[in-house]
Amino acid sequence: MEYPDNGAYMVAAYVVAAVIVAGYAASLFYRLRKYVKG
Amino acid sequence: MTRRESALRIARRGAVVTGVALLGLVGIYIRALMFTPIERFQGPAQKIFYVHAPMAWAALLAFLVTGVLSLLYLIMRDRKLDLIASSSAEVGVAFSLVMLTTGPLWGKPVWGTWWSWDARLTSTLFIFLLFVGYLVLRGALHDPEVRARFSAVMGVMALALVPFIHVTVYWFRTLHPEPVLMKPERPGLPGVMLVTLLSSVAVCTVLYIGFLLLRYALTVLQDLKEEEMVDGVS
Repeated sequence: MEYPDNGAYMVAAYVVAAVIVAGYAASLFYRLRKYVKG
Repeated sequence: MTRRESALRIARRGAVVTGVALLGLVGIYIRALMFTPIERFQGPAQKIFYVHAPMAWAALLAFLVTGVLSLLYLIMRDRKLDLIASSSAEVGVAFSLVMLTTGPLWGKPVWGTWWSWDARLTSTLFIFLLFVGYLVLRGALHDPEVRARFSAVMGVMALALVPFIHVTVYWFRTLHPEPVLMKPERPGLPGVMLVTLLSSVAVCTVLYIGFLLLRYALTVLQDLKEEEMVDGVS
């Protein structure tokens, strides 16, 4: 079956979502560690 | 148990819940990309839906929690409610950033445009900016009482936007599709796609809870530090 050729948009969206979620999780853990140690 | 010990316990629980949710998100990626069929008309870009819609759900859930707790704070004046509300607001901003970046990446190949200034998209951008303003306002105010009261008023005002965003697709002409799940009729998705979507909604909800626990623990620790500094000065 022929599909529209737009897989790059899908890959970009999944990468962007992963970067934002992982970045926010890392920022929470980093800030928490700072306060736990301090 | 002291406030610090309690915050550390919440942080540990938050780390476990977040870890589980992140693993779940990896599972969703694998299921959506490898085991969920490609939609015939939209092509692979339709799979953005499995990330975009659940993240939008988590963002609006976070803003709803902030609004309700802000309202309760104004009635009960319990500091804990303010701290949870502000934690939820930051988590909501993170989720809405995903929603606002994946949306245009889906819109461009399917609608032919990155963005449309219609009611749904504009009100979604507006609530994001409103909560960015909420966080900036909190950062600018040093008196905890004033900070809690001002931000609670802002949180309550933003609360009205959450149901409005949901109904915009019915009340106004928009490119945005109507909800698949939150409607009276049965979902119009094939079974495999529906399972992927529901699993993603569940994972994003757990991720929201994990992030909220971590952010709340951090807020309490920051609050304690602030109290120590005030005590040190006086």
